[in-house]
Amino acid sequence: MDTNISGARVLWESDFTLPLFGHISITETMVNAWIVMLIIWGACIFFTHNLQKVPKGKQAFIEKVIEMLDNLVEQNMGKGCQHYAPYIMTLMLSSILGTLVSMIGLRSVTADLNTTLGWALMTFALIIYTNLRYKGLGGYLKGLLEPIPVMLPLNILSEIATPVSMAFRHFGNIAGGMVISTLMLGALGALSGAIHLPIPLLQIGIPGVLSLYFDLFSAGIQAFIFSMLTMVYVGSARQA
Amino acid sequence: MEELTRAFVDLDLWTLFVVICNTLITFLIVKHFLYKPLRKMLAAREQEVRDLYTHAETDRREAEAMKRDYTASIANAKQEAAEIVSTAQKRAEKRAEDIVQQANHDAAAAKQRAEESIEQERKKAMNQMKDEIADLSMLIASKVVEREVNPDDHKRLIDDFIDKVG
Repeated sequence: MDTNISGARVLWESDFTLPLFGHISITETMVNAWIVMLIIWGACIFFTHNLQKVPKGKQAFIEKVIEMLDNLVEQNMGKGCQHYAPYIMTLMLSSILGTLVSMIGLRSVTADLNTTLGWALMTFALIIYTNLRYKGLGGYLKGLLEPIPVMLPLNILSEIATPVSMAFRHFGNIAGGMVISTLMLGALGALSGAIHLPIPLLQIGIPGVLSLYFDLFSAGIQAFIFSMLTMVYVGSARQA
Repeated sequence: MEELTRAFVDLDLWTLFVVICNTLITFLIVKHFLYKPLRKMLAAREQEVRDLYTHAETDRREAEAMKRDYTASIANAKQEAAEIVSTAQKRAEKRAEDIVQQANHDAAAAKQRAEESIEQERKKAMNQMKDEIADLSMLIASKVVEREVNPDDHKRLIDDFIDKVG
């Protein structure tokens, strides 16, 4: 049995080329991301349908979630930052659902470097924008010279490392989990064959336990870390 | 046909662009379909609760003022009632005193009148008695001496006697 680990499948590729982008294509990642977006949209409409002044059931739940996220944002970014909450919510939902689509047999959206890098670049843009807004261009550039001017190259490197590390952390965890799960499945199949079992019995159950960690736990923790880092970086950029 | 796949670690500007667009759209969805209605509802609830509290506070103040008014007017009324009662009592006392005084006065006058009339009657009776005794004694004396006594002498004598006797 061959175990094949590859990137996202390309579902369609253009014959023409666009400047800068070259041949454009539609990959598994994009389609799955759209599915995730549809799920998010549906969930938003479901939860905000028929809102009452006295909450109950699903409304109480979504209010609690919103309130918890507001508190988290306030804790990490300071007071008056609640307008950042929708962006954090977007990252959390996209990340956790983008990872968990693997549960319904689709390829995780976050197991594609482009996805996590895209988010990291957006966060990076937000960090730079916030820096410029609260410290001004001069203040921001001066901050790069601290504590001593010799640190300038290192400071620039650490600025650039922020999105790169965020992107690779998330991508690496999910993709790594996927690789281990796939390898495990192949190995258990091979082992079943080696001890002459008529069907690969060892493939039952054991991958499920591994999936509990690599999919469920990892999905939650990586979404949380990514959102948390976004809040912390943007929050510290606000502090002039 | 072999499936076309991307490299496992793959960097593609187009995919990156699509991801960023997707995320922006998701952001708008989350903001518009989740946060906007919820925040609006929460704000409306907050407003309602605040209105409720303001209303309750106004009501409480009003009730307090009313209570103060009522307490004051009740105290007033009590005082007034006490005044009325005491005035009435005084008047009644005075009236009773007057009546008693008047009665005493009347009684005294009546008594005096009665005493006067009794005295008069007594004097009248006495005089009558004197006259009758004088007549009687003269009659007796004339019978005794069998002769006409000078009525004036006798009268004087008898009067002396009567005066000595009684």
